[in-house]
Amino acid sequence: MLTIKNLKAKIEDKQILNGINLHVNAGEVHAIMGPNGSGKSTLASVLSGREEYEVTEGEVDFLGKNLLQMSPEERAREGVFMAFQYPVEIPGVSTINFMKTALNKIREHRGLPALDAVAFLKVMKEKMKLVEIDQSLLNRSLNEGFSGGEKKRNEIFQLAMLEPKLAILDETDSGLDIDALRIVANGVNKLRTKDNAVIVVTHYQRLLEHIVPDFVHVLYKGKIVKSGTKELALELEAKGYDWIKEELALA
Amino acid sequence: MSTLIEKRNLLEEFQSAFTKRGLQSHPARLKAMDWLIATGLPGPKTEEYRFTPIVRNLEKIVDLKPEIFESREITPDSFRVVPDLVCNVVAFVNGRYSKKYSHILDQGLHINILEALESQQHNDPFDLLNCAFAPEAIHISVDQGISITHPVAVVYYFDASSFVFSNPRWRCTVGNNSSLTLLEYEINSANGPHFNNKHAEISVGEHAQLEYTILQAGHSNEVQMNNTHIKIASKAHASCFTFSFGGQLLRNNLTLTLDGQGIDAHLYGLYQVDKNTLVDNHTVVDHRKPNSYSNQLYKGVMDGNSKGVFNGKVYVRPDAQKTNAFQSNRNILLGENSTVNTKPQLEIWADDVKCSHGCTTGQLDEEALFYLQSRGIGKEMARGMLLHAFGSETVASMKNQVIKTFIEGLISSKLNPNN
Repeated sequence: MLTIKNLKAKIEDKQILNGINLHVNAGEVHAIMGPNGSGKSTLASVLSGREEYEVTEGEVDFLGKNLLQMSPEERAREGVFMAFQYPVEIPGVSTINFMKTALNKIREHRGLPALDAVAFLKVMKEKMKLVEIDQSLLNRSLNEGFSGGEKKRNEIFQLAMLEPKLAILDETDSGLDIDALRIVANGVNKLRTKDNAVIVVTHYQRLLEHIVPDFVHVLYKGKIVKSGTKELALELEAKGYDWIKEELALA
Repeated sequence: MSTLIEKRNLLEEFQSAFTKRGLQSHPARLKAMDWLIATGLPGPKTEEYRFTPIVRNLEKIVDLKPEIFESREITPDSFRVVPDLVCNVVAFVNGRYSKKYSHILDQGLHINILEALESQQHNDPFDLLNCAFAPEAIHISVDQGISITHPVAVVYYFDASSFVFSNPRWRCTVGNNSSLTLLEYEINSANGPHFNNKHAEISVGEHAQLEYTILQAGHSNEVQMNNTHIKIASKAHASCFTFSFGGQLLRNNLTLTLDGQGIDAHLYGLYQVDKNTLVDNHTVVDHRKPNSYSNQLYKGVMDGNSKGVFNGKVYVRPDAQKTNAFQSNRNILLGENSTVNTKPQLEIWADDVKCSHGCTTGQLDEEALFYLQSRGIGKEMARGMLLHAFGSETVASMKNQVIKTFIEGLISSKLNPNN
């Protein structure tokens, strides 16, 4: 589904990604872990099309298409979804109206007819239940005055609504208490199928107890320096990141 | 030999037209003209017009030779801008009140021509200019205890192709316990240049309600000077909306005098302009008695070379304890050459009050734009959604749904000129 080859990227004059290689198949969950400043969020940003990052080398193939040439909205329509680390508050834009516009844009791209208000509300009710989000939140302006947990839950609700092929969760666990973490993770798990894939970007192992990864990659200084299975995450949790740094220093 | 281009002296031109038209025989006019000569027209050093070179703008268009324009036959529908709005009409045609095209639908609403031009409300040189040149003063009055069902539209209709110097002057009295929706706009059917120098005085009685909307969506050869003085009595509720979408120069002096207790006053403004349009809103909210509330929210979306000015004065007099007065001015600059000058001016003499002000000027929120795009919404549409959300806050609390829907439509259509 997704193939990243030798991806290098910088912001302003600071090189952050130094040659990432990653292959993700449909049905898989990949966790990207690493110490602060290793480039985890940059990778998520580059994949979702943030303009302030400049890709200096490498390629990203998504379902046979060159992802790096697409605008953020084209990536979303092709099936890439990023759950933001810090979802933006947008006063005056109603969540429901926003979601309906977004969903219909994506449906249009997939050659599906637009949903009318009734059909949209029906879909919305189903997905609300799935991710345990309250109607009263969705009646408000987009993320306005939401708590940290409510914002993250809204991200997963949008994920459920838009049914992407590839979901990138950027530090979705940050700022969540244990109950909110469980709800968010349950939402993601319910949405998993053999046809979609998930990349979980996280600093800690705790989210991975709920969303169990098939592969774990350690990012350090803009490169994937170690890959393994979920046991690697447990090892990182127990030992921290220093042993990897030491291993690299010796090599 | 060098050629000198003679600089125009607009004040002298006004003075000479005043004499030629024989206006000096009227004592109130003469007094106003003398006073104007003494104070002069605002120049580059005049504090209240620091960012608004109105005289320079007027010099480009003013031509006082023709005096009165006979207009062509007009169909009543030509006075309409809000399609589904059934309303009373107070019509001014090329600057003169027109009885023919004005009409009243509601009981308890009256339009009269006043004999006297006098007023206490001459804060601005253009108030004086209006008094000197206004053909007449109109009185729109609402009896006590009456709720006027249909809005009153005050329409300035222009159909001359040459310059029109227009000085509409009106007073509006809303009786105690009455309510009125007032809407004011210009129509320029021949696209000729004009200077519309309006002077209005509105008095809102006790327990009365006023919803007043000024709509400005003119051409680039129109200068509007809008002097509006509103006096509000106890327990009354007044909401003023000023929407500016186009023109050469729009200067709005909106003064609210809260002359009673328990008053609720709201001022909203949106200037969403481009090209070389200059919009200048000067507001004064004068709290004179205790226990009243005022709130101001002015927003700007500036594209092209447009300029915005906001100056908001709030006075809280020594008697006006327990006043709540709030003010906010927020601007988004879209054009590289667009600018905004904003100045809050709070003068508080009472000690037990709650007052606040704030202003922000910035670009469109890139992070919000990216957020919408990352959900599949195209950049242009996302931009439109954000700007609409920003601007429509100023119309959110409007009660008249027909006018509100119309204004929201204008906000959107300005954002998507191709639609």
